[in-house]
Formats: sequence, structure tokens, C-alpha cells
Amino acid sequence: MSQPLLQATAVAKAFGPVVALRAVDLSVAPGEVHALLGANGAGKSTLVKILTGVLAGDSGTVAVNGEPVLLRSPTEARERGLAPVYQDPALVRDLTVTQNLRLTGVDPADVRRELAAMDLDGLDLDEQVKDLPLPFLRMLDLARALVFDPQLLVLDEITAALPPDLSERVFAIMGRWKQRNRSVLFISHRLAEVREHCDMCTVLRDGRNVASFHPGQEGGEGQIVAAMLGEASKGVRDVARERRAARERPEEEAPRLVVRDLLIDRQDAGVSFEVSAGEVLGMAALEGQGQDRLFEILSGNVRAAGGEILVDAEPVRFRHPYDAIRRGVVLVPSNRLMALLPQRPIRENIAAPLFNRVRRWGPINTGRERRQVKEAVDRLSIDTRAAAQARRLSGGNQQKLTIGRWLAAGFRTLLLFDPTRGIDVGTKHQIYDLVRELADAGAAIVLFTSELREIGLVCDRAAVLHNGAIVAELPPTASETELLTAAHGLEATAV
Amino acid sequence: MTATPRAEVHTPLPRPSSRLERFGRRQGWVVGVALLLAALILWRSSQIPAFGAFEVRGIVAGTMTLALLAMAQSVIVISGGIDLSVGAMMVLGNCIAARLMLDQDLGTVVGVAVLVVVVAMVLSGLIGTVIVVSGVPDIVVTLAASFTLAGLALVVLDGPGGGTNPRFQELLVGGFDQPGPAILWLAGVLLVVWLPFKRSRLGIATYAVGSDRSAAFLSGVRVGRTRIVAYVMGGFFSGLAGLVTTAFTGSGEPRASIGATATLTSVAAVVLGGVALMGGSGTLLGPVLAAFCLALIPPLMLGLGWDPNYAEVARGVIIIVVVMIGGLLQIPRRSR
Repeated sequence: MSQPLLQATAVAKAFGPVVALRAVDLSVAPGEVHALLGANGAGKSTLVKILTGVLAGDSGTVAVNGEPVLLRSPTEARERGLAPVYQDPALVRDLTVTQNLRLTGVDPADVRRELAAMDLDGLDLDEQVKDLPLPFLRMLDLARALVFDPQLLVLDEITAALPPDLSERVFAIMGRWKQRNRSVLFISHRLAEVREHCDMCTVLRDGRNVASFHPGQEGGEGQIVAAMLGEASKGVRDVARERRAARERPEEEAPRLVVRDLLIDRQDAGVSFEVSAGEVLGMAALEGQGQDRLFEILSGNVRAAGGEILVDAEPVRFRHPYDAIRRGVVLVPSNRLMALLPQRPIRENIAAPLFNRVRRWGPINTGRERRQVKEAVDRLSIDTRAAAQARRLSGGNQQKLTIGRWLAAGFRTLLLFDPTRGIDVGTKHQIYDLVRELADAGAAIVLFTSELREIGLVCDRAAVLHNGAIVAELPPTASETELLTAAHGLEATAV
Repeated sequence: MTATPRAEVHTPLPRPSSRLERFGRRQGWVVGVALLLAALILWRSSQIPAFGAFEVRGIVAGTMTLALLAMAQSVIVISGGIDLSVGAMMVLGNCIAARLMLDQDLGTVVGVAVLVVVVAMVLSGLIGTVIVVSGVPDIVVTLAASFTLAGLALVVLDGPGGGTNPRFQELLVGGFDQPGPAILWLAGVLLVVWLPFKRSRLGIATYAVGSDRSAAFLSGVRVGRTRIVAYVMGGFFSGLAGLVTTAFTGSGEPRASIGATATLTSVAAVVLGGVALMGGSGTLLGPVLAAFCLALIPPLMLGLGWDPNYAEVARGVIIIVVVMIGGLLQIPRRSR
């Protein structure tokens, strides 16, 4: 057997009492696209940071081409042929792209060449980073990493923020690297990508590597999920689908939320849709079709340029989120930390929207508050070990918390904006179950998702948003191709 | 299923902005402050029958100290820190200079001047090192340091006194009707010290560290060292401010309240000059222009026949109003 390009052996790392990595072995062969998988908190990001010199491991060894190396900084890792693209772009917002490149000692001409190879040569490198949209920053970060011509390219969830066409260009580069007998370590929560583009995968769970196999093989997805979840995997899958099938059609009644010709921007055609109690309306769209603003309008955060919103058949004008919340319309935004009070404990986070109801003036009845909070925490099975500060919770638990706030406070219409972005498969399924459960209990739910398979998994109907208008309504059985076609504004073929 | 829609669609590249847009976005604030200053100068000149070299010299030389302190504060704020000891550092520099320069010839006096600047740089670098190594917040360390420095100033000079060489005074702040030296020194410091620094890798790193420490680290910047360098630069400007005070007043004055007031005014100039207190953006020119704006207000009020005490009230109101207008102007950009 040929020598592995990268060999990590028994790598361990603890942050104080919290053990991130117990003992991880990872072996990447030359010419291999290797997926690193695992639930949130399994230790992927920590491992990547150790492999790229950002963090020092507590024990274990890392060898490149059979030679043990000690990586003390990102620069040293690059010299060894390991170039990372991190989850958050390592670009300084207040500097221009060119200045950023000077910091790393990269010649802008080289980056331009790499960008041209990705068909992105129109990008102006003298723009300040903060003026460029996130997907292009990831591509810039990638181009910068490519300039070092690394033996091993480490891509940490690069596709999470990319529209499909840019993702394709990343996959093209992965293919090119493979042809040159170089390797890629690829991290993604999107199993379809992993199955299609990776030769090998290693699954981490609780700080250990629990399985390594070829993800594209028959039943690979189930195998990945089972490995990621371990014991917890039993019976999580497809509960949502069954529940939906069992759902009785509601009797004729006025829809809970009606949106008519809502103008997201002045020049748009206008958005119209309705949702009834007990229904989950899925919303699909490419990046930047106005979905963010639509949800902000519906939750009273931003005012619409025109059009109507009716709640329980009554026209409403939200001037402030407070108005929307009073009518039972609540939002779970995509940026979890935006909704939470990151420095405050779980209890206060859940209770914050509650205070409006509990008491107007004077001290708050903590007994009642505590009871309601406990109910919400139990129902969501939030891991309360890091209860003292919300920002220390893992992404999945933070997301549960943002939903949990509204469980305690009560709501009638729930707006979920990409609630599973960057969340591990196990928690995703818990959230799917919860969404169906809430709908069964009589909530109307609008769920925007960037992961099209979720439409089939949880929704009763799908509305496709394109250019500030709903261009198609499809049944949940619509294939991802059909959804994508509609999302691009192309004529949907017969359904 | 023959053609997947994926390949047909292209996420559009962001539209490149024009030179003018970019200039407006990045330098708009400085231009605004410059216009405000021009308006204030015009106003002031209309109040006095003969607005000439004497008046200009009075304004420039009188504001030089504040302008230098604003530079010191700016560099540190840009790097993501804050320094509440710049005023005390200036007072200490003033006291050392006044004590050692008394009755000396020009050569010795210039030597002392160099010594003062070096001492300020070393002390400020020390303060920066303590902040970086100990992890104690900068606001705490520099506040504590301001007491220490003020105390040292009193040790050096226990009351108003000392002196300097008149030739040195003329060289630095000019004679009564010579605005030239002061203007040249300020412009020189900006052009010869600040501009090359800003364009160097170290300068870019200073902005990077102030904007996003972890991204800077991941880009290979030595974060701790860069932050210390910003404090050393700050010390350089504070030291110069001490020298200018000596030259302008011709003596040393160890009163701690002078330093405290100067520190707070320097923060005001930084804010008014468009340097974000969050760090990572702004230039030194803005705060320097802002320092002049702030310094022009009391004489303007005097010209209007107001109670000078109202000048201070007006200063505060102007800072809030200007920063508020600036914030309002930036709102459309944010929502784009």
C-alpha cells in the first residue's frame, strides 16, 4: 500500500474540562477526496484546526508523507503543503482584498489567475472585503489557498454558503486536485455532495473516528447517518414523513396567514401565498431571491414596499416585531446568535419573549417562569451542560433554543428561516419531528430551506420564490430537480 | 432530465464600484470633516477684521498638541485598543523636557527632545506589552497607567517650572506670526511617519488586527506583536505632544487634570474624525482635522460674545450631532 499523504494518529485535544477529541486517527491517501463527517460537536473543526496549525493538539502525531511534523502556525502548515479554507472566511473585513493578500504574502496576480480558472475573473480585488457578498469571499479564500498549490486542500464546510453553480466550481477544483494526484479533505453536512464527490469518508463521533468507508457505495447515506448518530440513530429517520402522511386534511377554515402581492422590493412582482393551521409550507429559493427580506417583513422587522398581510383573515400592519409577536407570528432567523442573548443563561433566553406576557411591570414571577422554561427544555431535549451562557452551546442546541423561546411564549404562526443550516443530521431530524409536532398541535408554519430534500421530508406544500415572486407551488413529492428548475425561474415541467 | 439547471445558471458577480463611489465610501467622512473645518475657519475669519498669519499661527500651534494626541489615540484605536494614558504621557513628556531643557543650548535640547520621544515610546510599548501578555482589558491597564504616569510627572517636576531654549520653541511651534513650522511639523509627521507605516505590511496588519483578530491570525499576522507596535507608535505621537507643549508654553506643568482632559478630548477627536471605536478603520488625517474643529469652537463662541463656558456645551453637542448625521448617512448603505 502506498504511503498516506496525511496520517494523523491518536490526536487528542481538550479545552479545559470539555474533551473535543479523544483519539482520532485519520489517513488521507494521495489523489483522494476524503470527506470528514460527524455531528456538530463531534470534533471536526477542532481536528481541522490542529491539522492546519491553528491549535496545538494535546497528544498524538501528525505525519505528512510519512514524516512527523509539528505545526505551530497556519504559515507552517502551508509550508508543509496543507492549505485550509475555514468555515468563516479568513479575510479581514475592513481591508481590501489586495491588502488581505499582502498580509498572507500572496501575489494578487496569482490569485487573479486562480479566479480566472474558476471563471470569476470579474471580481475586483480592490474592493473592501465587507462590500463583497459572502459566497465570493469563500471563493476568494479558496483561490488564495490554491495559490500555495497545496498537497492537501482542506475545505471546511465551504459549500454551506455557496449557491449551486459556485459549488459546482468547487467540485471541479476537487476533481482537478485528484487528477494531479493531490488530495482534498472535504467537510460538509450535505450528504449528497459527499456521496457524489468523495472517494472515502471518515466519520467522527464524540471525539473518535468511528468508521471509514466509501460513501458512494450502496446504502452509503444510511451508513453515514448510523455512524454519526451511533445509538441515537434508531427510529429517527422519516418519522416526519409518516406523520405527514397520517395527517388529516383540515376542515374548511380561513387560512391562518395570507400574503397578497407583498412587495419585497419596489420593482418586484409581489409575493402571494397562504398557510393554514396545521400546515407546513416549504419555501425554496436560490441565494438572494428576496427570501431574507420576506421573512423579515413577515416578522415585523422591516416594512414591505406594498401589498397585504392578513392574520386570521384580518389585515395587519406590523411596525415592530412586537406587533407580529402579539398576533402570534414569530420568527426563528437563520443567524441563531442574532436571536439569542449569547452571554445569558438558557433560562433567560427562553424566558425573554415570555416576559412580555408574564408581567408588564414589577418583578417577574420566577416560579411560573421556571416551570415554562423547564417544559421547553425537556421537550426539545436541549443539552443543558453549558447552561450558563448560550454562546457556549453547540450550533444544534442553540437552534433548539431559538425555537424553544417561542414554545414557552406560545405562538400561532412560526416562520423558520433555514433552521437546519450547519446542524448535524441527528439534530436535524429532531427539528423535523418538532416541526411536524407543532403543526399537528395547530401551528401554521412557513419554512424556508436551502436544503431541498427537506421539502420532501417535512413540508405539506412547496412554494418556490424567484426574483421576489412565488413562481410555482409544488407538492412535497416534487423531485429536487423539479424544485431547482422552478427556483431558477425556468418553466416547471408537468408535475 | 437531459439538462440539469445547475450548469445553466450563473450567480452574477458583484457589480464593481466606480472610483468615485469607492472614494466616497472610504474617504467620505474625512472629506466631510475637512468641509466642516473649512466652514469653521471661514466663519472665524469673518469675525476678525484682520485674519492673518498671527491668527493662523495661534490656532495651529495651540491645537498641535491635541492633534498629536488624536494621532496617538487613533493608531491605538485602529489596532482595536484604546489608551486612556495618552494625556498623562504627554504631561510626563512635558515635565521631563522642561526640567532637562532649562537653560541648555540648542544641541542639548534637541538631544533631550529625542530622549523624551524614546522614553514615551518605551513606556507606551511597555503598557501595550502588559495588555497583550496579561490579558487584562486595555481600558483598565491604560487607566491605571495614566495614574502612574501622572505620578511620575510630579516626581520629575513637583510644580510648574522648568524651561526650554527659545530657538527650540521657534523651530517647533514658530514665532508669533509664523504658522509655518507648526504646519510643516504636522504635515511632516503625517506624510513621513504615518503614510509609509500605513502602507507597510505592519500598517496593514495593524488595521487587520483591529478589524478581526482571528482572521488576522489565520492570515499569518503576529497579533500580539502588532498590537504592541500600535502602542509604541502611540507613544511616539504622545511624546511629540509633550515636546510641543513644552515649546508652546515654554515651561513644564505637572497638573494631572491637564492630562485627563487631553485624553478625553483625544477620544472625542478620534470619534469625530471617523475612526471607528471598534477598530480597523479610519485614518489619522480625520482626527487631526477634527482636533482643529474642536479647537476652533471656543474662539468662535468668544467671537459671538457668548459665555466661554457655553463653548464646552457646544463642543459636546457638536460631537453628538456630527456623529449622528454621519450615522444617518450610512444607513442607506447598510440596507443595500
